[in-house]
Amino acid sequence: MSAANRKDASWKERLDGRMPEHLAREIDVFEGQIELKKQKKLDDKLFAETRLRRGAYGQRYDNGLRDDGTGQKPLAFPRGELTKGPDTVWDAPGMQRIKIPFGKLSAEQLEVLSDLAEEYSDAILHVTTRQDIQLHFIHIEDTPDMHRRLASVGITTREACGNSVRNVTACQFAGVCSTESFDVAPYAHATTEYFLGHPDVQDFGRKFKIAFSGCADEPCGLVTFHDLGAVALTQEIDGKIERGFRVVVGGGLGAVPVEAKVLREFCPAEELLPLSQAVARVFARLGEKNSRARARIKFLIQKLGIDEFKRLVDEERANLRPDERWNALLSDLSVTDEDPVRPAGDLPESSSPAFNAWAKTNLRPQSQAGYYVATVTLPLGDFTPKQGRALADLARTYTGDAMRLTVEQNIAFRWISGADAPAFFDKLAALGLAEPGASTITDVTACPGTDTCKLGIASSRGLAGELRKHLTVVQDQLDPAVRNLRIKASGCFNSCSQHHVADLGFLGVSRNVGGRKVPHFNVVLGGQWSENAKSYGTVVTAIPSKNVPKVVDAIAQKYAQEKHEDESFQQFFQRIGKSEIRKLLQPFSKPPSYEEDKSFYSDWGDPREYTIGDLGIGECAGEIVPFVEFGLQAAEQELHGAQDALDSGDSGAAAKAGLGAMVTAAKALVRYLDVQVRDDADDVVAQFRTHLHDTKLFHDPFAKGKFAQYLLITAANKTLDQADTEIARRTLDEAQLFLEAAHACYQRMEQQRASGGDSPSSPAGQPETP
Amino acid sequence: MTSTSPQRSEKIQIKLFADPSALPPLESFIPVFHGWIRDKKLDELLIDVADYAHVHEGPGVVLIGHEADYSIDHADGRPGLLYVRKRGLAESSAEQRLIDAIQRAQRARALLEDDPALSGIRFSNDELLIRVPDRLHATNTDECFAEYQPTVEHALQSSSLNLNALQRVGDPREPLTVRATSR
Repeated sequence: MSAANRKDASWKERLDGRMPEHLAREIDVFEGQIELKKQKKLDDKLFAETRLRRGAYGQRYDNGLRDDGTGQKPLAFPRGELTKGPDTVWDAPGMQRIKIPFGKLSAEQLEVLSDLAEEYSDAILHVTTRQDIQLHFIHIEDTPDMHRRLASVGITTREACGNSVRNVTACQFAGVCSTESFDVAPYAHATTEYFLGHPDVQDFGRKFKIAFSGCADEPCGLVTFHDLGAVALTQEIDGKIERGFRVVVGGGLGAVPVEAKVLREFCPAEELLPLSQAVARVFARLGEKNSRARARIKFLIQKLGIDEFKRLVDEERANLRPDERWNALLSDLSVTDEDPVRPAGDLPESSSPAFNAWAKTNLRPQSQAGYYVATVTLPLGDFTPKQGRALADLARTYTGDAMRLTVEQNIAFRWISGADAPAFFDKLAALGLAEPGASTITDVTACPGTDTCKLGIASSRGLAGELRKHLTVVQDQLDPAVRNLRIKASGCFNSCSQHHVADLGFLGVSRNVGGRKVPHFNVVLGGQWSENAKSYGTVVTAIPSKNVPKVVDAIAQKYAQEKHEDESFQQFFQRIGKSEIRKLLQPFSKPPSYEEDKSFYSDWGDPREYTIGDLGIGECAGEIVPFVEFGLQAAEQELHGAQDALDSGDSGAAAKAGLGAMVTAAKALVRYLDVQVRDDADDVVAQFRTHLHDTKLFHDPFAKGKFAQYLLITAANKTLDQADTEIARRTLDEAQLFLEAAHACYQRMEQQRASGGDSPSSPAGQPETP
Repeated sequence: MTSTSPQRSEKIQIKLFADPSALPPLESFIPVFHGWIRDKKLDELLIDVADYAHVHEGPGVVLIGHEADYSIDHADGRPGLLYVRKRGLAESSAEQRLIDAIQRAQRARALLEDDPALSGIRFSNDELLIRVPDRLHATNTDECFAEYQPTVEHALQSSSLNLNALQRVGDPREPLTVRATSR
């Protein structure tokens, strides 16, 4: 019986050969890091950033403290002294974010995600506003097996969090939309593949978000508030229609929302990856690293000015070493195509009011005649594993692998034949998922807020749930213009619900009233969702959380009664002005006293008296751990592996791995100097020789260049895999010395930087491009 | 063919079905579960309460713990108390783990039935569901059920419940699920 089929087989053994090799290897390394952390052999910050880069976040109360309504109490986790990051208890449940690039999901992937939710979390799958899936209440020790099961269906959680390129998003209608210039999905796919694990995106001070949109007018891509956004365009050049992108940079929401600025009015499609790489390199080199609050690229662009930023990007682009992947990843633009499984058909007339109501808001014709995109509305972005498996079945029957998660926390099924729409609706109804109102006032978006987020100030999900309930009941009586408004609620200023671009946005804040804390929401009005989220709303006033439903009613009523014909809510708000709305909301702005109504002093869905004592330190920002430290750590792990190989009698593997550890450490130092280096050992050693050995930067004050000699001489030896025990031992000893010297070298260079001396950069600057 | 062994799993779920006609609204359970945390009603680490009342046939309201969760589950449109053992008792036998799970589910049931805020809530003595949400060790197949059946029979005999008819239920993609009823 093979290992995979044994009764005591692990997931690693069972899935052996079914995971892409590089993903399997990365997960093994991560599992090794978990073991090292359990043995307290890894630094807290380093491990925190390591797990964050695998998408394993902290959650509320993971500092081991929780207010139970009578005061903050310790949570007695079994291994309370063991931590998985600064002030983060090992056993405390955490969140796993799972990247789904541009939201594209297959039936098989949805089944595996459902299995994981059932086995490792609280049996809920949550769709985020960036087309990810999140599972909550996960134990850190379960994550490697989860990652393996995801890898077996082509999903990686790598860089789902941490200071790197996050999930690349794109409109869910890409490829089937009548207003798009062309299908952006293959470009989003190429960008995902290109940057995943790319050395140039490992040393950011903060996260970096990329979005694609197929056209300028519709909101689906929301590129305006991304660090890098690309809007599809075509241009006629020499009589030929050429594809390209309007590229914008430096957008962002959060406490300081900034609209992205134009970097290129037209970037030819084949130039997209090198240009993006140049942007990443400028950000990595010049972006803020010490103050998280000012480390996003928007602050760098503000500091430099867009013209200087453009100049730096141009300069960087000119010096980039050509990369064959720039073109290779775009060589097959059909890579994201979907084949419908059912013939096209007309949408039949229906006498069912329920179907007609659903079709009106949740069905959208595709550019391909006879096909529709059906949006499955998920309440607060949540669904169960059982619903997930049933949705996978529906995909197989009606659409094939053509599901896309949406930024409004729903799932879009593409390629529904019009003729099948009523049957599809009936099946959704049986699952309790046939709610109409996609992208309308009842389809409220919310971030996790105080439910699970360490930064949550008020219960955005509680409020969103209450508004959904309330508005669903009254929706038939609402003016059609009101029905089409969008509501988004964020639990704090980090704006994960994207409330800045909602018609009615809400942002959780806390207020002191009579010596007690009362949950409030800032009312943010007039954001523009269309034209890729063209403008942001403004704060009008803060309202006690429990009064927000009344405030929504009052605003909706005023808009319905006083709007001019065809006047959008943004136009209406601008016309009547903030003070008029503030006057309207004034009666709701003060909570009753505690004695009059205690309910105002608790949050939605939580009977505990409200407190902000449970606020923790957010991990959205990740831990700022320089790339060089990851490299040196990886080298040490390789050396451990080499030692294991030697212990098990495999001298050849041991010698090779020992040399590999030296190469990895050398690469980390080379990259520290901002020198472009390829992954192959020859290039690493050549660059190390030029920039660290010949410049004497690596030299030990006493031993001089001695510790580098073995690497420089042995690197060319291609027969190390036949090494005997003596050579293997020598290689491992030399590797150990090299690693010590590499750490010392890094510390010297850091000291030099800190003391304000000349930056220890390569004297030769950027090498010539080959 | 892959071999499975449900006895190896630390993960067990027990569902006790509620009388739907006497079930209070889901939001009534939120303060009750918060009270269990505050007053340390159970000898296990309880952490927080999650509200999923908005999800159709979902886990309803969940009391999240370290070793186990408790939820007012509405799966398949049949409300009940779901005990979800996530970890622990690795050294015990499969039968002991199952007995422990049934006892803990029964203890939670008694707390709910005794709570005046949930007046009238009742759970059935005639049926329960046992599930092993661990696809590494258990699949929802007849072979796996046959292997697990003696463990379930012995554990049920040790309980106060008079349940002796066992049946495997559900989609093969679901976790191994055994329905126990009185013959």
